[in-house]
Amino acid sequence: MLTDNNKLFHRKKILTAFLLCTGILVLLFGRLVYLSVWEAEHYSQMATSLHERERSIKAARGRILDRNGVVLADNKTVCTVSVIHNQIEDPERVTEVLCQELGLSEEYVKNRVEKYSSMERIKSNVDKETGDRIREYDLAGVKVDEDYKRYYPYDQLASKVLGFTGGDNQGIIGLEVKYEEYLQGEPGYILTVTDAKGIEVEAAGERRVEPVPGSDLCISLDMNIQSYATQLAAQAMATKEADSVSILVMDPRNGEILAMVNVPEFDLNNPYELPEGTPENISSEEKQNLLNGIWRNGCINDTYEPGSTFKIITAAAGLEAGAVTPESTFSCPGFIVVDDRKIRCHKIAGHGSQDFVHATMNSCNPVFITVGLRLGVEQYYKYFEEFGLKTKTGIDLPGEAGTIMHKMEDMGNVELATVSFGQSFQITPIQLLTTAASIINGGVRVTPHFGVKTVDAEGNVLEVMEYPAVEGIVSQETSATMRQILEMVVSEGSGKNGKVEGFQIGGKTATSQTLPRGSGRYIASFVGFAPADDPQVIALAIVNNPQGVYYGGQVAAPIVRQLFENILPYLGIMRYNQ
Amino acid sequence: MAAQRTSRKRRKKEQTEYFFDYSMLFIVLFLLGFGLVMIYSASSYEAFQEYKDAAYYLKKQLTAIVIGLVMMIVTANIPYHFWERFALLGYIVSALLIPVVLTPLGVESHGARRWIRIPGIGLNVQPAEVAKLCMILFLATLVCKMGKSVRTMKGFILMVIIPFPIAGEIYLITQNLSSAIIILGIAVLMVFVASPDYKKFVIMGVGVLALAALAVFLVVSGDGEGGFRSGRILAWLNPESDPQNKGFQTLQALYAIGSGGIWGKGLGQSMQKLSFLPESQNDMIFSIICEELGIFGAIAVILMFIMLLWRMMVIANNAGDLFGAMLVVGVMGHIAIQAILNIAVVTNTIPNTGISLPFISYGGSSVMFLLIEIGLVLSVARRIQLKELA
Repeated sequence: MLTDNNKLFHRKKILTAFLLCTGILVLLFGRLVYLSVWEAEHYSQMATSLHERERSIKAARGRILDRNGVVLADNKTVCTVSVIHNQIEDPERVTEVLCQELGLSEEYVKNRVEKYSSMERIKSNVDKETGDRIREYDLAGVKVDEDYKRYYPYDQLASKVLGFTGGDNQGIIGLEVKYEEYLQGEPGYILTVTDAKGIEVEAAGERRVEPVPGSDLCISLDMNIQSYATQLAAQAMATKEADSVSILVMDPRNGEILAMVNVPEFDLNNPYELPEGTPENISSEEKQNLLNGIWRNGCINDTYEPGSTFKIITAAAGLEAGAVTPESTFSCPGFIVVDDRKIRCHKIAGHGSQDFVHATMNSCNPVFITVGLRLGVEQYYKYFEEFGLKTKTGIDLPGEAGTIMHKMEDMGNVELATVSFGQSFQITPIQLLTTAASIINGGVRVTPHFGVKTVDAEGNVLEVMEYPAVEGIVSQETSATMRQILEMVVSEGSGKNGKVEGFQIGGKTATSQTLPRGSGRYIASFVGFAPADDPQVIALAIVNNPQGVYYGGQVAAPIVRQLFENILPYLGIMRYNQ
Repeated sequence: MAAQRTSRKRRKKEQTEYFFDYSMLFIVLFLLGFGLVMIYSASSYEAFQEYKDAAYYLKKQLTAIVIGLVMMIVTANIPYHFWERFALLGYIVSALLIPVVLTPLGVESHGARRWIRIPGIGLNVQPAEVAKLCMILFLATLVCKMGKSVRTMKGFILMVIIPFPIAGEIYLITQNLSSAIIILGIAVLMVFVASPDYKKFVIMGVGVLALAALAVFLVVSGDGEGGFRSGRILAWLNPESDPQNKGFQTLQALYAIGSGGIWGKGLGQSMQKLSFLPESQNDMIFSIICEELGIFGAIAVILMFIMLLWRMMVIANNAGDLFGAMLVVGVMGHIAIQAILNIAVVTNTIPNTGISLPFISYGGSSVMFLLIEIGLVLSVARRIQLKELA
């Protein structure tokens, strides 16, 4: 038994111990309140991010529309079929159905069905109808996910302009790359709650952050003009057995490109397909080079010697500087001697006495050499730069090639003479067309372009693209004179194959020999515009290495003529006699 | 009438002459029941994943509780002086039992070898649990035997030294620091009650705190070298610095408490129990309580423990003799220390060490021994004569 005295101090001690323990428990409770009230947000956010698994939802890529709203690049819903090993109940039935519906070999499907993995992809880019059918079987462990795939309704149309997209829906070439930031949109997410092993907790449901679709891009291209131009180019390529044919159609007033054709085009829905007859065992590097060649847009990625079409520039520079007037008379003996070099005219007998207008109509080399020499290297070079020929046009397509030109210090009279009629330097077709357009449109250097505006799914305009324009590169008078002279070229001169009944057409032909000289390879080209007194459309046709007759006036001019015969009424350009 | 009234009075007096602490029994039963609910909630997901039986842990715990309750009733009905004669034997047995974990009888779990399989029953027993019970018994007996000499310095030192061999064994052989600390804690508390002095204990407390602070300081300035335990201390100071390893469990517990907030997510709604929080039905069950039931669930549990301790204090204060009082103080110390340390670990107040929450955590041998201890306390309570109840 405890004595009273003992009991007293024991009781006090026991009470002390109890109070001490209680005190500590109360302190711990305080700590708990701190954690679950003050720190709650911090920890619960961290916990939520731990519990949720993110699956991204692709955003629908913006479409590409032509100037009339025709859809050139669209999205198609496709399905990806996968199997989840753990959830499969009847592997034989699954294998059978998938083989049958997807047209795959039994061995291939069986391997994947039996493979122990969290999720095995059987086939992607499956048609929506097939995907829906598979879904209707309601097989445990088979998952059909919907996805977007880029789809080009017109297959080959403007393939090198539009470009295509890769596996993640990102642009690879063409406008698809250039306008990536507008087209791509923002991906959304499905946040699923999972346990620590990654198994979804069904009761917890899911949280969705909806994707933001990309903006639609409206471009200046006209589907009808583009497809007609493509037909013409393909026809010309076939009949002339040419390597390639390019056709450019532009509005010279603002630089909007209506058509850009480079045949052979390729199938945008199948861009990695190699041409028939390609050996199968080529290395991946060779394959890539081959594909890059197929995807190449000759109008902007390649340069060529423009030849006689460049006389437009020499003429404009000469007129602008006062070195020549339309009435200036020249005499062509069939050749001209520059320094120690004798340069022939294409007409060996010579054009005899002629004024500048007729010299242009005849495309007489000695006359243009004379004009170039009258200007002199420095002045000629100054105009070359002022016309914007040294800088890129700034077209909204990737990979524009620059001009290959002599340095001014290295230019002698011989070089100047050759440049004057379009040889010994190289520019891109788009550069030639843009410069010609700028000379005949009243002297405004325009920026060639496709992109006009972006719109949202409801058609509301989001952004209107603006492009620089430099005014006064030639005077209005020079521009008007050039239009008259070039109209004469078509109506009565070397470009008469470009004539269109009922329309005033201006233009210039060219036949340039490709390097090395004497290879027998030529480039026939023709640049034409209409109406000649108020140009609303300018076109350039380039036939690369035509067989047989290779003169621009006979090969390229008829292409532009046929084009104009069809598109001028379509564009609402009136015949002069109406 | 008058005769009837007196006889009724007499009967009443006879009935209530001896005391049975129903309040304490109720608290214990409440904690056990609440523990079962929480064990089911915390473990069912993983139990189903692992054993295809959501109630796997619940069933095992329920079996242990039933056995424990039977043992409690038996113990409560045996006069506690009966155990006095086994005090020394108990001390020796527990000292001998601990090395048995190293023999083939030992069972390894969670990377630690702390259990002994009792052949035949298939029940795992932690020698540390046996040692805690035996230590309480031995020290209580010793205090009575020593009488007034407890108050001398020699007596004090003897009392303090006695638990060390057992605690040392537990720490060195079973790598179980927390049980060693609990045994030392129980001993210190019992000595504190037995001795009228305060000064020694204040000095001891200050000394322990200073040593702990020194250890933390050394670890922090020592660039984390020194392995297992020092890593735990660094993870304690900043659990987010090493979220994948040392700080993992602590951080997961904090996530649970933080996402529970004031009101909790609701019973059964814990996310952290979905394999994120290791030992969620065991050492970390308190954080699941916080996550599901919020601060209010937590305060209910803490209040229950305070009430349990209060009942024990009342019983100890009114025990028929010093031996009974010391037994109750030992049990009280055991439960108090374990509850405090567990909650402190879960809230990252002290470095992480594996301690279960008495009556609530999953663990068969722990709950059985705790119920035996409760049986002892009830036995002491039954000896209290109501006239002595103050």
